[in-house]
Amino acid sequence: MSNTLRPYLAAVRSTLTAALCLENFSSQVVERHNKPEVEARSSSEVVMNPLIISRNENEKVMIEPSVNSIRISIRIKQADEIETILCKKFTRFMMLRAENFIILRRKPIDGYSISFLITNSHTEQMYKHKLVDFIIQFMEEVDKEISEMKLSLNARARIVAESYLSQFD
Amino acid sequence: MSRLPPVIMDNGTGYTKLGFAGNNIPSFVFPTVIATRDSAGTGTSGPAMPSKPSNLLASKRGIEDLDFFIGYEALANSKTYGLHYPIRHGQIDNWDQMERFWEQSIFKYLRCEPEDHYFLMTEPPLNAPENREQTAEIMFESFNIQGLYIAVQAVLALAASWTSNKVSGQVLTGTVIDSGDGVTHVIPVAEGYVVGSSIKHIPIAGRDITYFVQQLLRDRNETSIPPEDSLKVAERIKEQFSYVCPDIVKEFKKYDQEGDKYFEKYQGIHSVTGQPYEVDVGFERFLGPEIFFNPEIASSDFLTPLPEVVDNVIQSCPIDVRRGLYKNIVLSGGSTMFKDFGKRLQRDIKRTTDARVKRSETLSGGTLKSTPIEVNVISHKKQRYAVWFGGSMLGSTPDFYRYCHTKAEYEEHGPSICRHNYVFGSMS
Amino acid sequence: MILLDYHNVVIEETLNQPIVNLEPTVLDMTVVDFDGVAYHLSTPESKSVIKFSLIMQCYKELVQWGAQDMLQREYGPYCVPKEDGYDVTLEFDLQKLPEDKSQREELVKKLALIKRNLMAQPFERAFEQQAQFEDEKQPNPTPDLMQIHYRDQEAIYIQAQLDRVTVIFTTLFKEETDRIFGRVFLQEFVDARRRPAIQNAPQVLYSSKEPPLEIRHLPELQNTSENEDIGYVTFVLFPRHFAKGDVREKTISQIQLFRDYLHYHIKCSKAYMHSRMRARVQEFLKVLNRAKPEVPNVEKKTITGKTVIRS
Repeated sequence: MSNTLRPYLAAVRSTLTAALCLENFSSQVVERHNKPEVEARSSSEVVMNPLIISRNENEKVMIEPSVNSIRISIRIKQADEIETILCKKFTRFMMLRAENFIILRRKPIDGYSISFLITNSHTEQMYKHKLVDFIIQFMEEVDKEISEMKLSLNARARIVAESYLSQFD
Repeated sequence: MSRLPPVIMDNGTGYTKLGFAGNNIPSFVFPTVIATRDSAGTGTSGPAMPSKPSNLLASKRGIEDLDFFIGYEALANSKTYGLHYPIRHGQIDNWDQMERFWEQSIFKYLRCEPEDHYFLMTEPPLNAPENREQTAEIMFESFNIQGLYIAVQAVLALAASWTSNKVSGQVLTGTVIDSGDGVTHVIPVAEGYVVGSSIKHIPIAGRDITYFVQQLLRDRNETSIPPEDSLKVAERIKEQFSYVCPDIVKEFKKYDQEGDKYFEKYQGIHSVTGQPYEVDVGFERFLGPEIFFNPEIASSDFLTPLPEVVDNVIQSCPIDVRRGLYKNIVLSGGSTMFKDFGKRLQRDIKRTTDARVKRSETLSGGTLKSTPIEVNVISHKKQRYAVWFGGSMLGSTPDFYRYCHTKAEYEEHGPSICRHNYVFGSMS
Repeated sequence: MILLDYHNVVIEETLNQPIVNLEPTVLDMTVVDFDGVAYHLSTPESKSVIKFSLIMQCYKELVQWGAQDMLQREYGPYCVPKEDGYDVTLEFDLQKLPEDKSQREELVKKLALIKRNLMAQPFERAFEQQAQFEDEKQPNPTPDLMQIHYRDQEAIYIQAQLDRVTVIFTTLFKEETDRIFGRVFLQEFVDARRRPAIQNAPQVLYSSKEPPLEIRHLPELQNTSENEDIGYVTFVLFPRHFAKGDVREKTISQIQLFRDYLHYHIKCSKAYMHSRMRARVQEFLKVLNRAKPEVPNVEKKTITGKTVIRS
């Protein structure tokens, strides 16, 4: 299972590096407006085909490019109920702080756990390769964090049960 | 609606006041301090990530975050645990510690099931809306409370003043002078909304008065006080014997002439040896609180007296509310409890406003006559915990439940609903 | 703090002043405790007479199992007819309290435990009934199935059997997160016996939709098998857990607080998750900030000697 992780991340990395070629593009529909085209979807010629990279049916990444912005949606692995709940809590927690995260989107796209929106202004202010590094690291860390949280929850449950029942002796 | 009363939680920089709505005094008052296992001063960084307890012994390694104390127990355990103050200048600095603080205050002290209650919490004025969102997130998601209302402390202090018999109507326009342990705020409130740009902070508060009293005692060579207790003794002397005099010079004369009437004795017990001792208390009785009105006697950092600050604050507010602000100056907080504090303040402010009115009359050559400005400083019996008491009053009105943000709303719209809390009691 | 206290801290601290130190104060306070219990402390007539009232959701059921006798036994001299809107009222005249200070401290401590004592009645009765099984003179007694509806949708059922006493808790989790966390915790309770250190602990069984055999026949539980929120936790107490004396008292106190204990720890673990997430978010932000180029603070000098600062 883990032997698919490296090729998966490598594929995502190369796709992102290719897709992150963004340039400033004013809106063609409304005068003097400049919006991320992947969100506005006002003209069809500036939005490119979305690409989905799946590791398995539970984990996939969808990348929707356009001329001045790119939207990345990630579906995080959720093997059982506990992981689903932990994932939901974690992504909600981060989305509440989306302003600090700059590139995070406040609502995920349907069917995915979390979404990022990177526009040309972001790529002008930040290094592209570092942005890609961040997204890849994020994907790795989120999985690790969720499994760690699950383990610590189980450990706590054990200790709680032990403390309570040992009182009966 | 559950018949259980709402919980009122007022977390201040110095002390936290907890209780239930409908009561006159908070059930618990203890310092806002938390004692945790790690060393003090590691401050605001998050908890060290606990290493995975792969070898699960019965040692409580997985739940070391539950190993903490709050309030007086924290101070009692300060030798073995590290002390942290999660609230600085009224704002919550460290959310992890605050969350744990709330956890223990709800389950250990208040002993209520948060799922059954509505909560009223307080915030300082000019609090960022993101902080309200974070508070709401913690309260709704971790504790599953039924509803939440976050009130500005100054507005609650105004509501508490309605119990004083000097106030006729129930107005939410006034100037709140909130003096606690760390800092004093002068906050103008118009129709229930704080005039944020006019708020002034004065760095003189309870702690400074205590230091000053301690210094005076030291200068007078009161050797009977054990050095490690000198701050506590100064505090108790301040609380028991201090008052505000109308004029320092006259007061000094009074003390010189009739010493027996004014000099008091403080009885203390040495904490280590248990021996009782006596301390003479004299000039510090009125010199302590005098630093509000003449800050230069204590230090040269801040030189504006309190009445002048209050006057400046009101003058910087929009002109149509100024009369209302003068008419309703409300005191709140422990450091405003000195005897005759209100009277002296009212006299000093009235002098300033009268002088101003007279000056404008002379400048206009006698043609413009304005009605004299009514200055009223309201002090009432619930001053010490005025903010908490205002919350308790508001929490016991039937309207309270309508204004709260309920859990259903939180689930539907997210924490951003808590950015705005309706001000009630001002209209209808 | 891992284990919850048995006594009520507010009552103890509030009554310490008047009763132990004999300093009369004016009181009018409403205080609550876990499980829908509310107390009212007041001094309606004079400062030296304190009225202490209690209302409990399941009081009527407790009366059935002997609560009145307990009140007479422990708080006898202080019982008075009950105040409007409350179930029990006790009155304390400060001038008539026992002279000895430690006796007064005992009284305050007992008052702080009044909820625990009231809830203890059905348990005591069940233990008595189980003892009857072993009494040869009265073989085959029919033990009562005692029901205590201490919360709106949750109840405790106690029944004595041949060699054990079964206590069944129905717990309701309103939130899905709570439900899942609760299931993890309860699973651990069930599995805890396997560990050698606590083999003496009572046996715990957990089922989420089906009510256990003993209470399956109850009418109120007939239609709830579809409801996912309700879980049933069964504690099996063996005679060594309620041997007369300290062990019995401790067992009763512990078991009453089970539901509160469980919910407390679920909330604590949610808070713990929050602090982990906060730390993680900080880490992410640090990585993200590395993506921003450093601001070059370039200070250049022109040929004529003027300094140009490029920000």
